[in-house]
Amino acid sequence: MADYREAPLASRPKTLDPNEYFNLSKEYRRAEEDRAAIRASLKMQYQTQLNNPHRKALIEDPALTRWVHARANPYLYFKPTFKTSLVGLLFGVVPLFGLYYIFKAHRDRKEAQIKAGTLDRKFSLSS
Amino acid sequence: MAGVGFRRWAQALSKGKGSGISALLSGSRAASGSSKDTVLGPPPKSPEEMAAAAKKYNLRLEDYAPYPDKGEGFGDYPKLPDRSQAERDPWYKWDHPDLRRNWGEPMHWDFDMYIRNRVDTSPSPVPWSTMCKQLFGFIGFMLFMFYLGETFRSYQPVAPKQYPYKNLYLEKGGDPEKQPEEVKNYEI
Repeated sequence: MADYREAPLASRPKTLDPNEYFNLSKEYRRAEEDRAAIRASLKMQYQTQLNNPHRKALIEDPALTRWVHARANPYLYFKPTFKTSLVGLLFGVVPLFGLYYIFKAHRDRKEAQIKAGTLDRKFSLSS
Repeated sequence: MAGVGFRRWAQALSKGKGSGISALLSGSRAASGSSKDTVLGPPPKSPEEMAAAAKKYNLRLEDYAPYPDKGEGFGDYPKLPDRSQAERDPWYKWDHPDLRRNWGEPMHWDFDMYIRNRVDTSPSPVPWSTMCKQLFGFIGFMLFMFYLGETFRSYQPVAPKQYPYKNLYLEKGGDPEKQPEEVKNYEI
């Protein structure tokens, strides 16, 4: 595993991360400690609420609320730029009209073939 | 979200000091509902805004990085590493073990995609290039062999079925009076 290489859908596992073994700098360790402190305070908040014998309600998670709000309001800070308008056109307008014309043309061609008697029903089992 | 707004509007109408329209226009609203801490904010620009957003999302200031402001609607939501929940330690005592997440931990924008039932970014046992080569190599080889088999067909020799009684002359509606020609279905 010394020659493990990352790929877009395959990340490096934490146990193969060289930082875990060779990075003993104070800044890196201080950063890890700060993250652990945040994690510990959140854990304590959760555990006090969880083990509270008088609690009857659900424990609401503000991170979850924020995520739901963010995902449910995509147009709060939306700005029509070149890129966003292009994406909107490509995914919203082009398939609408494109598919209409494709289906219409295909069906009209099939109808003309049926009327002329030249339709080749390759997979028909009944004839 | 729309339901909450409608309810608040109906409540304002019924409980408002004025009647009808003036209650709506007075700008008074209930104290319940989402606070500023659970609402998506605008994309942060100044260091103070960045610090406030980092505190809001329970991240260190150094760890907090908003999405680049390209008008795509992310606001100040943090850009977390694109790692699925399947990569997290299965033996740690998570608060929500099935989601491998702790309470209050900032969720990835695509969290619902990165749950363990869906997209998995965990390291593959064999390098990606090897997997691609093996899969597409096998498929390509099989396609090529089938193409060769279609071009150079090889099967047991066959011939049309030979029928007795002069190729079933009478059964096929031949005249019983007439004598049909001799039919030889063999070769010596």
